[in-house]
Amino acid sequence: MEASDGSVVREVLAGDAERYRILVDRYRERFGRYAVALVGDPDLAADAVQEAFVKAYHGLATCRDPDRFGSWFFRILTNQCHDARDRARSTEDVSRLPLAASDRTDAEVDRAELAELIEHGLATLTEEQREAFVLKHVEGRTYEQIAALTGVGVDALKMRVHRARDTLRTVLGEQL
Amino acid sequence: MNAIRHLALATLLGVVVTPAWAQQPDIRATLEARGLPAELVADVTAAASDAMAQGLPADPLVDKAIEGWAKRVPAPRILAVIRQFRLQLFDARQAVQRGRGGEPLGTVVAAGAEAMGRGLTAEQVETIVRAAPRPESSAPGLRVAAALTAQGLTSDQAVEVVIDAMRRGHTDAQLLDLPSVARAMHARGLGPSQIGQQMLRGNPQGVGRGLGNRPSDVPPGLGPPPGKGNQGSSKRP
Amino acid sequence: MSDDRPFSPEAHTYLDGAPTGPMSETDRSDADRLLRATEAYAARVSAPGAGLTDAVMERVERRGAGRQPVWRWVFEPQPVRLRPIWAPITAALLLVLWLAVGSRGPEPTPPAVTAGVDTVFVQFRLVAPEASAVSLVGSFSEWRSDLYTMDRQDGGVWSLTLPLALGEHHYQFVVDGQRWIPDPTAHAQVDDGFGGTNSVIVVGPRGVVRS
Repeated sequence: MEASDGSVVREVLAGDAERYRILVDRYRERFGRYAVALVGDPDLAADAVQEAFVKAYHGLATCRDPDRFGSWFFRILTNQCHDARDRARSTEDVSRLPLAASDRTDAEVDRAELAELIEHGLATLTEEQREAFVLKHVEGRTYEQIAALTGVGVDALKMRVHRARDTLRTVLGEQL
Repeated sequence: MNAIRHLALATLLGVVVTPAWAQQPDIRATLEARGLPAELVADVTAAASDAMAQGLPADPLVDKAIEGWAKRVPAPRILAVIRQFRLQLFDARQAVQRGRGGEPLGTVVAAGAEAMGRGLTAEQVETIVRAAPRPESSAPGLRVAAALTAQGLTSDQAVEVVIDAMRRGHTDAQLLDLPSVARAMHARGLGPSQIGQQMLRGNPQGVGRGLGNRPSDVPPGLGPPPGKGNQGSSKRP
Repeated sequence: MSDDRPFSPEAHTYLDGAPTGPMSETDRSDADRLLRATEAYAARVSAPGAGLTDAVMERVERRGAGRQPVWRWVFEPQPVRLRPIWAPITAALLLVLWLAVGSRGPEPTPPAVTAGVDTVFVQFRLVAPEASAVSLVGSFSEWRSDLYTMDRQDGGVWSLTLPLALGEHHYQFVVDGQRWIPDPTAHAQVDDGFGGTNSVIVVGPRGVVRS
């Protein structure tokens, strides 16, 4: 019922464009949240994801290992997201606190504030730190999986994640 | 698969089909019975239905949630762990499919995900699935490879031992003896790579020169099936 | 006010979800706060919906989106869609549907046990002379701690023998209802994903050999 990446890529390259839909659905689900967290804005992220898929389609013949379409596409997507973020970057005011709505419970307000702080905190990280942190903590992957996806070694990834955590700790702590 | 499409098609064809989402009361009831709070039950049920929608087995996620709750792990952590495991299940399913086409068995996908979480690569999972004599044999094969790796063999050695045993015609049950065999060798003083080598040579009782016969606590079972020649001492398939 | 207090190595290991040694209260509570915050953030982030797929496909295909030769549709496995279906195909589709929509996904998966009807008696032992109660908790008990209480014997040895199905089992001992400890004689200790460990045994037809 579900075809492997490699077989779908080969079918598309053989002329069956409609089959590409399978890859789009699959990786929209798998990497979509990563893209949103990387770009920061859901609409801009959706644009970036769309661009990445279109670019990947047109460049599909250059994908050297169709069975590893995922990693190959991941790189294209990451680059597209960084571009989107750069283009969109307005003055981010990291010290702005979210307004507390009076009709929410304390727990909900707390949760929303924490989430906002993380969102702002992510903006202060370097690109590599943000990628690594999002993959580790938002997508919940292991270091080995992230290494396989990004081509970066586990030790380097750990360092990036650790630095990201230390920065976010400070951001979260400023509330007190 | 979209539940609404299921129902629509079923109605169209006048056939009663049980959609995946109707199984959710089952999961929900199980979680509630184990004392999980309502919000966590909702989140885990959602994760389970996401998994099912992707063709992944939901049981391992539900079991993990129950385990976490029993261990008093905070709810956000439980959810994070389940999400990560769902991704591992996804990756495992792809690896299993590359090894052997068709719809992967839930037991095999679950075993593959555990194995990958313990250091086996997708390629190694694929290799074992490909070498398994029957689709369902992949599950014990993967579990044993993961166990041997945790016991100190390199993952390459562990995979080799499992595939070798499969090719010698060992049954699924015999595969499950392997970690005990490794443990017995370890108790006799062998290091992990020696254990791996002995297992590949099919000679578990060769624990060292001059130590004589098979020790009584080492289960027999490694070695060629009967009729393939004499490898030194009593064996039964 | 950013005094950058880096997390200790233990805190990082904890945040990685691995077992770790003790850490300071501040580290622990800040780490938990980070986890909660990240979880709250992650819950708000969702992947773009199916509309994105349609948008991509429209740009990608030369003819409009969604046109597909009928002959190809007939012969290929398809996700379920509302289209006119021919009678001979219906049966095949139904079978595919039925198989795919079993209970709990593709196949019911018993917890960490391979397909095997046989059970084998396995003994569990723990030396804990100072304990007043020890129970065995694991995948075979659905992690209930009240199911398998162990019997105390001479010398402070606690023991219990259970019939277990063939395959892999994860477990720990729980001492005095609170302390979770691994079984040093198990085949392996594995990360339970929550920052702790589980002991693992693989039960074969000849039982379990442990040191």
